Amino acid sequence: MSEAARRPLLRTALLAAAGLVLLLLPLATTPLLLDLGCQVLLACIGALSLMLLTGFAGQVSLGHAGLLAAGAFTVGILVKEATAPFWVTLPAAAIAGALLGLLFGLPSLRLRALYLAVSSLALHFIVIYLGGEYETLRGLSTGIMVDPPRLFGHELYGGRAWYILLLVVAMAVLLACRNLVRSRTGRAWAAIRAHETVAAALGIAVARHKLLAFVISSAFTALAGGLFAYYRGFVSIEAFSLYLSIQYVAMIIIGGMGSLGGAILGALFVTLFPYGIEAALSTLPHADRYAGAMFASNYAAFGLVMIFFLVFEPQGLIGLWRRWRPASAKAGRP
Amino acid sequence: MGNNGENVMQKSILSSLAVCALLVAVPAQAADEYAVGLSGAITGPVAGTYAPAVEALRLYIDKVNAAGGVNGHPIHLIVQDDQGQPSMGATNAKKLLGQDNLLLLLNTSLSSTYAPMIAESQRAGVPLLFAASVCPKEVYPPAQPTLFCTTAFASQFDSRATLAFVKEKSGTSINLGLAAMSIPLSRGEIDYAEGLAGEMGMKAVDKEIVPPAAPDYTPFATKLQQASPDWVYSWAPWVTEVKTLEALRKLGWEGNYIGWGHIETEGELARLKDGKFYAIGANALFSDRLPVQQDITATATAANSTYAANLMTEGWIAGMVVEAALKQAGWPATPEKVLAAMSHLKVDTKGLRGGPLEWTADNHFRTRQYYRVYRWNPASNGIEVVKDWTAYEVH
Amino acid sequence: MQLAVNIVVLAATYALIACGYVLIYRVSRVLNLAHGELMMVGAYLLVTVASASALPPLLAVGLAAALSLGVGVLVHLFLMRRLTGQPALAAVLTTIGLGILLRGLVVLLWSAEQQHPAQSLGLANPPITLFGGGRISTLSLALVLTTGAVYGGLFAFLRFSRWGIRMRAAGQNPLLAAQRGINLNGIYAVAWGLSTFTGSVAGILIALDSGLDTTMATIGLKAFPVALVGGLDSLLGSLLGALIVATAEVVLIQYVDPLLSDVVPFLILMAVLLARPWGLFGSREELDRV
Repeated sequence: MSEAARRPLLRTALLAAAGLVLLLLPLATTPLLLDLGCQVLLACIGALSLMLLTGFAGQVSLGHAGLLAAGAFTVGILVKEATAPFWVTLPAAAIAGALLGLLFGLPSLRLRALYLAVSSLALHFIVIYLGGEYETLRGLSTGIMVDPPRLFGHELYGGRAWYILLLVVAMAVLLACRNLVRSRTGRAWAAIRAHETVAAALGIAVARHKLLAFVISSAFTALAGGLFAYYRGFVSIEAFSLYLSIQYVAMIIIGGMGSLGGAILGALFVTLFPYGIEAALSTLPHADRYAGAMFASNYAAFGLVMIFFLVFEPQGLIGLWRRWRPASAKAGRP
Repeated sequence: MGNNGENVMQKSILSSLAVCALLVAVPAQAADEYAVGLSGAITGPVAGTYAPAVEALRLYIDKVNAAGGVNGHPIHLIVQDDQGQPSMGATNAKKLLGQDNLLLLLNTSLSSTYAPMIAESQRAGVPLLFAASVCPKEVYPPAQPTLFCTTAFASQFDSRATLAFVKEKSGTSINLGLAAMSIPLSRGEIDYAEGLAGEMGMKAVDKEIVPPAAPDYTPFATKLQQASPDWVYSWAPWVTEVKTLEALRKLGWEGNYIGWGHIETEGELARLKDGKFYAIGANALFSDRLPVQQDITATATAANSTYAANLMTEGWIAGMVVEAALKQAGWPATPEKVLAAMSHLKVDTKGLRGGPLEWTADNHFRTRQYYRVYRWNPASNGIEVVKDWTAYEVH
Repeated sequence: MQLAVNIVVLAATYALIACGYVLIYRVSRVLNLAHGELMMVGAYLLVTVASASALPPLLAVGLAAALSLGVGVLVHLFLMRRLTGQPALAAVLTTIGLGILLRGLVVLLWSAEQQHPAQSLGLANPPITLFGGGRISTLSLALVLTTGAVYGGLFAFLRFSRWGIRMRAAGQNPLLAAQRGINLNGIYAVAWGLSTFTGSVAGILIALDSGLDTTMATIGLKAFPVALVGGLDSLLGSLLGALIVATAEVVLIQYVDPLLSDVVPFLILMAVLLARPWGLFGSREELDRV
């Protein structure tokens, strides 16, 4: 921070350059790369909101996929039943997420870490159960189709438009998270994470701040779920397995707990990882012979990477990044 | 920490995009080939159902190419794995449709991958064929112009044929038990069967919906048994069909059980050796020993395939259809020409199905669906046909 | 009557799986979320033993269970030992990673196809009619009896054997135990071995009764609320928790809606956690340690 304060010009220039590159990327790439970019950005929004809850407020959740599903189904159902436009559905998704967050934040007032993680599992099962009921009752067994949203009379479709939109939303979420973390609320969260009893003794309203973390994080997550529904053009319960929750937990571990930059790195890594393994395996001789083993190898490798980071690099990618940065840049940092 | 987030994001996105560019490049095909793309669940939790079909399709296309191709040009089949995941299916569709002159797209995966693939293929104007994956309702008349399906099972028709068979065996004054897995597709079909049974005058006495990972099927079977059904019908993934049956038998229930004959049927009938377990299906089992089945067996053996030949019928039929469509489209082909060919197509299935597979302008499922019922005959210690091909007109 | 039999069988299944969670948690305060996967590995070991040797069924089951004990010990030696001193959460997340790794390895080594070890062992599973007309398959009966034997053995082991007493001591106060010369690593290794052993016995018996595929790991996860309802550090609690959850599940399938059976264990768990966060039989001070 001190470096940034001393050299505001450099920092602004860097940020501007970063923004420009990110904005211009769509002009230079293929639709496929844009699709990957969009997937990464969606994962970023989800990972940032989970980081807020777990990495900053210290509340563990295994119900992340359930919240994403809740947002996606809110959008799907509103589009299907009321052909609602996106400026109704997306806020509705965020509100649904916030309400669920409030409901499932309540156990956090009594429960700690592991027990809390378990109660968030219940959230997942309940949301998926309700979603499945809706799909079955309405006869939508292959999922709910969602038409692309319309903005000023234009259909929002295709990689470029979505890339820009998701980039803007991801940036907004990043900024919101950054401001929250630096605010009084963020400091209260840090105190609660460090020691709840001490935080209470210091006069911090523990219950209120915990619930706030759940509400904000869940609202962002459900928003990401709603965006997913629009981007993919459909919603179905199969897209939100427990494994997805684990992937998000892995993102914040691999990225590095307690760092927003870490959440972004983790989202990037976990999203692109399977493609990397696939590419690595396909360079082996007789690649098609192993094709059947691809998924299993991918799965196993993902488990290994998770274990690797937990055992050998608890600081995550952001820790590696900080260590590898040139000494000159590090010098100004506290 | 947070303030270098943008920095990190920029650098990492740049570097990873560069990596991706290398990773996802698909080999370009030569200009004198028919390009066909496929996205399928070749690996992953549901691969057992789909991977053998993809393998069979690949073997069939190889065979066609070895014999000189179609209209003198080879077929280039580009296969991508989606593990049954919607996001990967969408990515594959983008990847495949980004090819030059892709003529036809195939889906051999879970229904959750349909929506993105349908949307992408329709925008590109390329026909999409569902092969070995559940036929979506858009292929039934009135069909959407670019969607087609060759898969054996068909919701509603299957239950109609099943209940007609049950009626033929035991009449309509019977108690019928129903079993589904708690996935929307299976539940929807069993709900339909429940209504249909009522219309036919049968009494649907109980309906059990079992979660995918139940430690014990006995509690569900107990409730079914207490309703004392004469017949139990299950249309679900194979595990649910068979475990429900096994749990019922352990409880001492001795009634008739009928389930949809998935690709596992042949081996499982022999394992269970249950004379009152009927498997209804649309594909011929290898106990028929047709010439085409011997051909499949020989091809699979020669290629040293990991899958048994009797799992390959579904993919072989898809291969026959792809070949016929390309042949009729001529050379050089465009997606429009292939689409026109597929909209009026009749393919001889050589006994793998009860009759030819025929598509018309508004029917992209098939004009006639044929069913057969098999069971294990304890007396002869072998699989036997209980009811031969029965045709259902599809309007 | 059949209803009672179903409840007992399901409760025995849950209890046999759940005691594995308790064994590890009691001594090392680690929640092992890879328990379902380890139990699946045990069942797959039986598949290998059955196909690689011509052992009689009972010996094959014994050998597979013994191998699974080794697997548990190895997990501790090569993985969990490295995490001593780190926050409990890191250890729990590591077990999630281990679970994913094991799932991948199982598919690589044994394929995703449905396996029927009972068939390859030539094991018959005839149903037995009990007093009152209830029916139970031979292997389900074996499962109930095994659960009884395992719990009896564990109570005796923890109460009377030297290692058992050391395990309890290590669980109650690791620092003091270490100072008194108790080898904590040895204790933890024994706990991991025993836990994987009991889980694998459950997995093996389920696989023999109704076949085996990768959904086995999910069954392990379903037994997890059972351990929490009873209290994560109480064996008696997991027995009672199993009975409560199994009763609720079977009764709901029978009289309300079979669809609820997946959600119910978690709803019971929520209710118990809100009223008594430390579980029905757990110790209260545990809460602050997690």
